[in-house]
Amino acid sequence: MTTPPRLDVQNLQSFFFTRSGLIKAVNDVSFSINQGETLALVGESGCGKSMTALSLLRLLPAPGKIVGGEVFLDDRDLLRLPDIEMRRIRGNDIAMIFQEPMTSLNPVLKIGEQIAEVLRLHKGLSQKAALKQAAGLLTQVGISDPVRRLRDYPHQLSGGQRQRIMIAIALACDPKLLIADEPTTALDVTIQAQIMDLLLELKQQRQMTMLLISHDLGIVAGNADKIAVMYAGQIVEYGSIEKVFHNPLHPYTQGLLQCIPRLGQRHNLPTIPGQLPDLRKQLTGCLFLDRCSGPCAPCSKQMPQIKEIEPGHSVRCWRY
Amino acid sequence: MPLLEVKNLRKSFRMKNSLGRTSGQLIAVNDVSLNVKQGETLGLVGESGCGKSTTGKLILQLLHPDAGQVFFAGEELTGLSPKQMRPYRRRMQMIFQDPFSSLNPRMTIGEILREPLQIHRLAPARQLRERVVDLLERVGLSAEHELRYPHEFSGGQRQRVGIARALAVEPQLIIADEPVSALDLSVQAQILNLLQKFQREQGLSYIFIAHDLAVIEHVSDRIAVMYLGKIVELTNAQELYKNPRHPYTEALLNAVPTPDPGHPRPAALKGEIPSPIDPPTGCYFHPRCPYAETICRQQEPLLENISEDHCVACHFVSRVGRYLFKK
Repeated sequence: MTTPPRLDVQNLQSFFFTRSGLIKAVNDVSFSINQGETLALVGESGCGKSMTALSLLRLLPAPGKIVGGEVFLDDRDLLRLPDIEMRRIRGNDIAMIFQEPMTSLNPVLKIGEQIAEVLRLHKGLSQKAALKQAAGLLTQVGISDPVRRLRDYPHQLSGGQRQRIMIAIALACDPKLLIADEPTTALDVTIQAQIMDLLLELKQQRQMTMLLISHDLGIVAGNADKIAVMYAGQIVEYGSIEKVFHNPLHPYTQGLLQCIPRLGQRHNLPTIPGQLPDLRKQLTGCLFLDRCSGPCAPCSKQMPQIKEIEPGHSVRCWRY
Repeated sequence: MPLLEVKNLRKSFRMKNSLGRTSGQLIAVNDVSLNVKQGETLGLVGESGCGKSTTGKLILQLLHPDAGQVFFAGEELTGLSPKQMRPYRRRMQMIFQDPFSSLNPRMTIGEILREPLQIHRLAPARQLRERVVDLLERVGLSAEHELRYPHEFSGGQRQRVGIARALAVEPQLIIADEPVSALDLSVQAQILNLLQKFQREQGLSYIFIAHDLAVIEHVSDRIAVMYLGKIVELTNAQELYKNPRHPYTEALLNAVPTPDPGHPRPAALKGEIPSPIDPPTGCYFHPRCPYAETICRQQEPLLENISEDHCVACHFVSRVGRYLFKK
């Protein structure tokens, strides 16, 4: 018997109703993550990866709205829960860490207070017990001298330490799902490696399920089990890390993998010509058409559907 | 003779506390020497606070050094008055990381590109438009973009405008400060290729400042690795990649994530970058260094040649390389 996935997203659609037109920011997105697995959502700016994550939490900024689909966390459809129950899910069952740890921490509250708050609210601990547990969490995320650090304010810490604090807050309630939105983008490379190591270690210890949002294919290759490549609001390729990296099918994935500068290779970089289509226009064909190296007959007339080519590897392209 | 020669450059900033009193001194650039030949790209790489951007500004005389000299085409720039400096400004240009904040939002692209031509009197009025269109086309834009404003462009297109503006005055040296780090991967490759094309065509020299070693290694002929205001290693790009001789370079190379699943991950470097206000004793890198011994805590290693074009500042040059992961 196969266990059902921890998170199952089916045909999620989130649209932005702007004055200049309808933008399909998340357009028919489906994926699932099993317990203990990491799925990487990859794509360039404006492709809808962060909007997908915010839709899962039902925190889409106006004028965005979820217009369709299902988001199952275990057996509950998050899109159909009353607001009050959804509030209990956020921070408790699903936690999120962001790119910029400075703006996500409150600058006028001590670190200890910010971690204890989560424990008091979601777990009903007393302040004393919450602070004690907070110190334990800091140790787990690799912060030395935790009791002293609890009395520090965010500005007294470095960027890497702040991100460790964010991770501690996210883990405070033992979430079923951790969403990490570009968790290392603002950090220096040596610190980036430390934070990714920490996330991997915590994932293994706690059998944590993770949605990793990143634009960096190097980070993704070393840290995820599955990958979903997004382009213009759609998933264009989806599969296990090995299959997608070693045998990329979609021309966009192929292009992305080729244009990474790699150490020790100094030839001219291949590029993906052109840029993202204007999503305000109603496009009928494949959204990648203008930038594709080998479009075929149906590409301009009809949007391709995502198709499973082999078990665990799907692509949205007419070539297959 | 190198086009640019920098000797023992030093710059410190006084830190003030909330009462406005001096509370310490931050040495941003500490005894930096380097040179750039014509048609060459020198990469400056390091993490935040290592002084790479300050070095760029000191070279352009946008900041004044506490000590040291900058020579451009044999002429000393340090100590020149703003008026004396003006002819050199045309010959040295800068490209910035954020092409949005470096373009005036109230000026059209045409006005942005005309301005340097007019200031330096490089074209008669009737030829201005022709020159602007030519510039736009050279960076992959077209005449129709001339009347648009910066906000109408994507990040990559704005960076193209930034490059066109730098090229407008036909400089010999361009200092590019993180020119691609705000851009998406597919656009990043387009901009890197564009910069390399102009170098081939016009023999431009670049100082390419970045934190991403893979990008730096891709575009540079020689690379200087900086840590807390000092150059710790300086050599040609291939040598740096194949035979790094400073433990920090080795750690930076290891930290570049490999886009290849299943590739073993090297151990991450321990610790944080120390505060430049209160740097460690001896070698600045010793608290994080896997090779460090007593001497490293006590004595600062000097930047010394270990071969003709390879300088390293480390007490244990011959040991380094043990932890390097081949990619």
